[in-house]
Amino acid sequence: MKFDKNELFAKDRTNVDRYADVTSAITVKNLTKTYNDKKAVDNISFSVKKGEIFGFLGPNGAGKTTTIKSILGLIKVNSGEIRINGFDIKKFEKNAKKNIGYLPEKVAFYDNLTALQNLLFYAKIKNVSKEECLSLLKEFDLSDSIHKKVGKFSKGMVQRLGMIRAIMGNPNILILDEPSSGLDPNGVLHIRNKIKELNRNGSTVFISSHILSEIQKMCDRVGIINKGVLVAKDTVENLSKKLNLKPQMSIELEKISDKITKSISDIKGVDKIEINEKTISIICDSETKAKVILAIAKAGGNIINLQTHDPSLEEIFMRYTGEDG
Amino acid sequence: MIEVITNIAKKEFMDNIRNKWIIIITVLFASLTLLASYAGSIYSNGWQDLGVTILIMNSLVNLLITIIALILGYSAIIGEIEKGSMSSLLALPAKRIEIILGKFFGLGLVLTSTILIGFGIAGVIIGFNVPDVNYVEYLIFIGATILIGLVFLSLGILLSCLFRKRSTAMGGAILVFFLLTILWQFIVYFLILITNSFNIGDTRFPEWYFALNFLNPLEAYGTILSLNIPTVASQQIELSSSGYPSFYNTTNMLIALLLWMIIPLSLTYWKFRNKDI
Repeated sequence: MKFDKNELFAKDRTNVDRYADVTSAITVKNLTKTYNDKKAVDNISFSVKKGEIFGFLGPNGAGKTTTIKSILGLIKVNSGEIRINGFDIKKFEKNAKKNIGYLPEKVAFYDNLTALQNLLFYAKIKNVSKEECLSLLKEFDLSDSIHKKVGKFSKGMVQRLGMIRAIMGNPNILILDEPSSGLDPNGVLHIRNKIKELNRNGSTVFISSHILSEIQKMCDRVGIINKGVLVAKDTVENLSKKLNLKPQMSIELEKISDKITKSISDIKGVDKIEINEKTISIICDSETKAKVILAIAKAGGNIINLQTHDPSLEEIFMRYTGEDG
Repeated sequence: MIEVITNIAKKEFMDNIRNKWIIIITVLFASLTLLASYAGSIYSNGWQDLGVTILIMNSLVNLLITIIALILGYSAIIGEIEKGSMSSLLALPAKRIEIILGKFFGLGLVLTSTILIGFGIAGVIIGFNVPDVNYVEYLIFIGATILIGLVFLSLGILLSCLFRKRSTAMGGAILVFFLLTILWQFIVYFLILITNSFNIGDTRFPEWYFALNFLNPLEAYGTILSLNIPTVASQQIELSSSGYPSFYNTTNMLIALLLWMIIPLSLTYWKFRNKDI
């Protein structure tokens, strides 16, 4: 990257509203967008803090892409305000976009151009060197295809090239719409590690994905949108608490006795017990898990296997949307 | 701003110069101009005999250059939106006006290259076979052709922004092509017929006929050729340049063509500025 981000930011600081929230990389306030009198996004507000990974979830047609496109200034919103690093996207479009890397859901390039020609085109607008493009192509295992026309690329290769386009120039905000789409398991892992690496180096990541386990592994906070309304925004843990979702323990014992069952059910904080042959499934508070194990031991139980399942983002998602992710 | 426009123009040129349809029509155009120039020039005694040759080349321009320009233009915006590459482009620090201008200049360069290839081949053939080539007139011919090509490119780009689908934009381009190249004469002659504005013995069409022709850039293009290349005017049976009204002069025709280029481009920006991607 040829320009210094801090220097650039300082130079353009006059364009930043003095009252803008400087701790937020992305601020969305009262955003509404309608298509043919139908509200695709209805008065949503949220902010993404600098340096965090924010997961944005919702069923198909919930308003995820409309929100992302609004943040990027790709669509004209009916009302609301969007700020990127403090810059109003409407008034200071160029400054706002200088530090954004974007991976759209539908990754597309110019098919008649080679991978390198495509990247150099974007690199020039982003002020990124050819050396960086070549290095990223190597990192994403596309070195052998740099002179191949993108029209002849597989979906996975296009996705990887799209990721390179998004991260080139080390932008301080990454907006990723379905980053794992079309990738094999190795590719998914590589992208996930890259996102984490970029985040460690200071990038803020706004990520939308259908793979909820992936979001749960990576994100500091999540926002859930349903029918154009932002129904939840918090950490997965806090959302679980709000929904009163509790961990589930599966304990396999050598032998299950009434004494064991009673000693477990007497513990405060245990909500539900289910017995299936030699396995007891218990739903309880996080802080009660140790007490359960202790009670089993005291009642003479011999534990063969123990598994705990924390509330998944999938459960949270389904509770908020009433649908599968 | 200039850097972004140049970069987009360069990309458009590199991308579209490889477009198979552009290659096919360019080869067809170059072959036909070669044929016309060869057949016309081997039997001529001088530049003044080349009127028919230039008229044939003029017809090729009306037919093929307009098609190339519309093919280049009609998918310029909507094609990228449909494909998905426009959102990535607009997520960069590139303004919409820069994208339109970059596309226009880049595609304009593809078109100009096509014209120069075709006319270059014809020029070499004519230069070899004709002793007294009037290069100034030939350059006027090339210049006017580039201009009419850019007008149709501008119209094509406007269509690509007006429609929501690439397929309907193509339909619009076909309609524009038929309207301006084929149907136009039928329409104006039909108007003359029903208004009884031209009778036997009349030496000239009514003034409104000429004014109406400003609505078709191809008429302005043809008039520039008639007014500046006497070999063309001598071949025109319908009307000689002396039959034109006073407002039918080169300056006004150039202004008309420039407006035909600028107005659609301005409308494109106006439409594209508020377009949801």
